[in-house]
Amino acid sequence: MKSRPLRRRGGGAVGTSSTNDGPAVGVAPPETVPLGDLGTVLDEEVTTDKPWLVIVWNDPINLMSYVTYVLQKLFGYSKDKATALMLDVHHKGRAVVSSGTRERAELDVYRLHEHGLWATMEQST
Amino acid sequence: MSSTIRRRRDGRYVIRLDANTRIVLADLARQLPAAIASRDPMVRRLFPPAYPTPELAGAERDYRELVDTALVNHHTQALEVLVATARAETLSGSEFHSWLDAIGSLRLVLGTRLDVHEDMGVPDPEDPMAAEYALFVFLGELQYLMVEALADDLPDEGRPEGDL
Repeated sequence: MKSRPLRRRGGGAVGTSSTNDGPAVGVAPPETVPLGDLGTVLDEEVTTDKPWLVIVWNDPINLMSYVTYVLQKLFGYSKDKATALMLDVHHKGRAVVSSGTRERAELDVYRLHEHGLWATMEQST
Repeated sequence: MSSTIRRRRDGRYVIRLDANTRIVLADLARQLPAAIASRDPMVRRLFPPAYPTPELAGAERDYRELVDTALVNHHTQALEVLVATARAETLSGSEFHSWLDAIGSLRLVLGTRLDVHEDMGVPDPEDPMAAEYALFVFLGELQYLMVEALADDLPDEGRPEGDL
């Protein structure tokens, strides 16, 4: 397993698919941010200290026991806590499984993607 | 099926599968890397968006640029390990994790092709997708048994709570 694949501005092929077919999360950009320059938007968002939330979404394919296992393995959660999060995912459709800086959240999302889980991130409002 | 997969005391994993099953697994695993490399729409579930909202399309582009090669390599290597060790009676821990990853990828792709959903019934035997569905179910059983064999290795205490 690659230990630190997340290096900003690293090389790599540009993905051409699956950028827009995710579940709608309903996150609006902060009201004060002007539209038009997403790069600026993101920079401003990063300077705020609101944490980023890592969300795992319900999907009909991954087994419940597998999701529990991945949450234990990646985040070191107890079996009880990982099971509770998995059940939240299953019954409520999503659960916040970790939170932190944007970089941290992106790394967590990546590790979840490595394990085939449907994970996204959004900034806490 | 409880003894189909187990962890030995020396840390290796025993996998009891018949020869035909191993051939099927290797065949499936051999086909997938090409589909991944060509970004067949059926592999889209292996590349979920990190930033799903249109407002963060720029961040999503950056994320894809950052991780897609690593994700492709990760999944492809796991599939290659499954192909290379498909006949092995025992697996190292690292090989076992590659199997788990590869079987998870195969399930995601088959599940996408079958358009699996929560309240889905078993397809009629006459259904052209019935064989593929049976394969999907079998891979799920395999994944379940592999996770069971791994679960004992995990700490039960967990880290101190507070981050959430």
